[in-house]
Amino acid sequence: MDAIQLLLISLIGYCAGGIASALFARSSQRARLVSGIFGLVASLIGAASAVLALRAETPPQVTFQGLAPFGDIVLKLDSLSAFFIILITLIGAAASLYSIEYLKEYSEERNLGAIGFFGNLFLAAMLVVVTVANALYFLVFWEMMTLLSYFLVIFETEKRESIQAGYLYMLIAHAGAALIMLAFLILFQRAGSFDFNAFRQLPLTAGIKTLIFLLTFVGFGAKAGMVPLHIWLPRAHPAAPSHISALMSGVMIKIAIYGILRVSVDLLGAQEWWWGLIVLGFGVVSTVLGVLYALTERDIKRLLAYSSVENIGIILIGIGVGMAGLALKQAPLAVVGFLAALYHILSHAFFKSLLFLGAGAVIAQTGTKNLNRMGGLAHRMPWTALFFLIGALAVSAIPPLNGFVSEWFTYQALFSAGKISFFPLRMFAPLAGALLALAGAFAVMVYIKAYGSAFAGPARSEPASRAHEPGVWMRVSMACLALGCLGLGLGAPLAAPWVANVAATFSGLAPVTVSNGWQVFPLDPAQAVLSPPLIGILLIGLLIVPFLIVTIFSRTRLRSRQNVEPWSCGYGYSSRMSLTASGFDQPVKTSFRGLYQLRTLLAGPAQIVKGAAKPALNWVSRVEPLVENVVTRPTTRLIETAGQWIQALQMGDIRVYCLYIIITLAVLLILLFGRGGL
Amino acid sequence: MTTVQLIAVGVLQALLLLIAAPLYSGFVRVMRAKIHSRKGPPLTQNYRDLFKLMNRQEVISEQAGWIFRITPYLTLAAMLLVALILPILTVWSPLGMVGDLILIIYLFALPRVFFSIAGLETGNSFGAVGVRRELLMSALVEPILILVVFVMALLAGTTNLGGISSQVVARTLPYSMGFWLSMASFAFATFVEMGKLPFDVGEAEQELQEGPLAEYSGRSLAIMKWGIYLKQLVLVGLFLALFLPFGSMSSLTAVGGLVALISFALKALAFFFVAAFLENIMARTRFMKAPAATWLALGSAVLSFVFYLANV
Repeated sequence: MDAIQLLLISLIGYCAGGIASALFARSSQRARLVSGIFGLVASLIGAASAVLALRAETPPQVTFQGLAPFGDIVLKLDSLSAFFIILITLIGAAASLYSIEYLKEYSEERNLGAIGFFGNLFLAAMLVVVTVANALYFLVFWEMMTLLSYFLVIFETEKRESIQAGYLYMLIAHAGAALIMLAFLILFQRAGSFDFNAFRQLPLTAGIKTLIFLLTFVGFGAKAGMVPLHIWLPRAHPAAPSHISALMSGVMIKIAIYGILRVSVDLLGAQEWWWGLIVLGFGVVSTVLGVLYALTERDIKRLLAYSSVENIGIILIGIGVGMAGLALKQAPLAVVGFLAALYHILSHAFFKSLLFLGAGAVIAQTGTKNLNRMGGLAHRMPWTALFFLIGALAVSAIPPLNGFVSEWFTYQALFSAGKISFFPLRMFAPLAGALLALAGAFAVMVYIKAYGSAFAGPARSEPASRAHEPGVWMRVSMACLALGCLGLGLGAPLAAPWVANVAATFSGLAPVTVSNGWQVFPLDPAQAVLSPPLIGILLIGLLIVPFLIVTIFSRTRLRSRQNVEPWSCGYGYSSRMSLTASGFDQPVKTSFRGLYQLRTLLAGPAQIVKGAAKPALNWVSRVEPLVENVVTRPTTRLIETAGQWIQALQMGDIRVYCLYIIITLAVLLILLFGRGGL
Repeated sequence: MTTVQLIAVGVLQALLLLIAAPLYSGFVRVMRAKIHSRKGPPLTQNYRDLFKLMNRQEVISEQAGWIFRITPYLTLAAMLLVALILPILTVWSPLGMVGDLILIIYLFALPRVFFSIAGLETGNSFGAVGVRRELLMSALVEPILILVVFVMALLAGTTNLGGISSQVVARTLPYSMGFWLSMASFAFATFVEMGKLPFDVGEAEQELQEGPLAEYSGRSLAIMKWGIYLKQLVLVGLFLALFLPFGSMSSLTAVGGLVALISFALKALAFFFVAAFLENIMARTRFMKAPAATWLALGSAVLSFVFYLANV
């Protein structure tokens, strides 16, 4: 079978799974099984199709008859599409497998048929978005992807915050989609067709190209969750069931990155050098702010979602360097930049979905998302703890895991950008590197906090002390993702050439070498080399030294004693003495006061003693993200007011609408005849 | 030099650093005592402490898990790996094929993560407070390190440590203002990372950055302490390899090796001397004032970058 057939079978599989799960909605067990198994099988078939497509000489494609004026539906599997299919299907497979057992806890009160239906179709829609080569159908499936995920975000319909999160998500996703639509319409107007190929061959002025770049970058950026358009992300992602959160954070926001790559690089050829700098700038801001906001979260899923904002920033840094390199005709720089971005896309997909699945298992056991009320779970859920730890180490860029490899490539991309003789890049790239380091150090903190509060220390709530391991398939799906993290890290010399090939092919550059034996390097081995497998072997091998020291010098026969309470200055120990998640980040909150804008909340009687209570206020302060107060709130308020004005026109009376139509017709007729007749 | 020879040099220097690390920390203890007008412990006191601890029974908090147990060993292993990569006896990086400067910066993060989780695992409140302080300090210092690393790497055109060291020795790397300012900022960062005043208190571990040590005992504490001693020496080694690699061999000879060994020992001694001196004459400041000092150092790192850009 060829790649196209497999792709179609996979799409049919998702749809069949979704529909069957909806039909079985009455029996939640069957719905769960059907949707999970169909999702898993369809994902694996989809992955096989992408692998075949990558091997093919020319990109396989298939054409369906579409609606006449809009052109045919073309599904094309070029290297970039195949790369994203692999991403979607691998994470989709793990999430589907996980859902079979995970959804059990919802089987009483929720309609699992609906979750299975939306979940499977959501995967199918993403698959089509990254393969379709026609702007109109791209938009159609893009919208489908948004809508289907919207229903998954609001699946807890009785919760007010879910509905609000869904609303915000819809609003921002559609504002973004409107911009993308506008850009495609401008291209359509000039090309006379919605086909991507026609767009590609279009001779455009620099001004139009810039306009289209800006429109699509902001439009896709909104969906990717880049600062300052990120506010929906930490609300919407946590609201969905955890395996859907994993898909949204691990995969869906990458589809927006696909959009940026497809339009700005593939269709427009990254014309101007400053486009790259804009992308780089937004990337750096997202990286730093995303991680700072993640740090102060107490809700484990919101913490992970904010960290996705950070990682989107790291991806954008790579893309920015790549685009600048392409525009400046520096082929090696372009490839290193895109390689870093694509590698981080892959890495982030694996570790973030792993972390979300782990968080889902923890939340199912403890019944809370609040890190302060967990604790000590490593004793009761050792496997989940181990997998979560692997994910946490990967996202903190600890060598030799995958997060470190992709961040290393990002540093090398920035370093290569700093070396070329083009002043703006020479100036901004190393500074971006320093900020990436700052974000990296905070990311370490974020994940020590997440792991430490959930899994280490004493149990801080009653359910946390009764927790136990999740089912075996949930553990297997997490284990697969954890192995993926290890594999992409230690196996970088095998994976990097493949990613570099994708990076070079889609940006129209010659293939490059980035690995040799056990090493990877950013094109030029003289610049830097890294050997993740050697790091792994040496770290494990060197463990022998301290063990040897102990066996040689330690003569005591007494075995270690582990039945004592932690030392607490001679007082009786209580689990309340352990540090909570909110206490953990307190030094950061005060050190970076400006960014969080600690606003003190005083209620009722406290107002009277305000002056006297001032020193104590720090302790009752609430953390508020600065961006939300300064940028987002006023914007939403403006849109809401505008909406109310427009609402006045739309009063729901059909006669008034008829009147509008007649007025419009009259105006148009007058315009037409006024021009032609006189 | 062949690869085999380089690896042999790497193993040798890692062993020497491992053995010498408690001695350097002991030297700091002696100096502190002298400045305090005390008699102080002998130079070899740290070795005695280590061996004494190894023969004591280990007592572990009931909350602690496998991360707590493995952390001391992992810390020492990670620091040994850094010791293998650093160019100390040679101007080339002995195990340069493993990775570059950026790897080394991130290898310091590896024990930090485990050390911090171990501190949280015990459920000890001092440990946890120590963790959050340690992490904030590292977050404040990390951008300085990376920016300086970028400036040095840009000057040399490579992030491979051996490449930078050999260019500094061969004087093909310009001694510009950028170089000197980088050196100053990096020295400050090293000073802070070594766990020195004004933000940390020596010999009062449970109070600040070393809080997580509070729950360690017996052989784990011995290995952990040894790991921390090694970390301090390795940090100094990194500083010397980047900025003052003079005396290191560029070809393998017996005399060259001896010169390299002695010159490194003296340079490191000088660094420890200055660090210990500064540590003891400075007033202790509140921990929350730390950002003010690190911003200054970051400012100087940025300035060094500006000088690099302007080619001064």
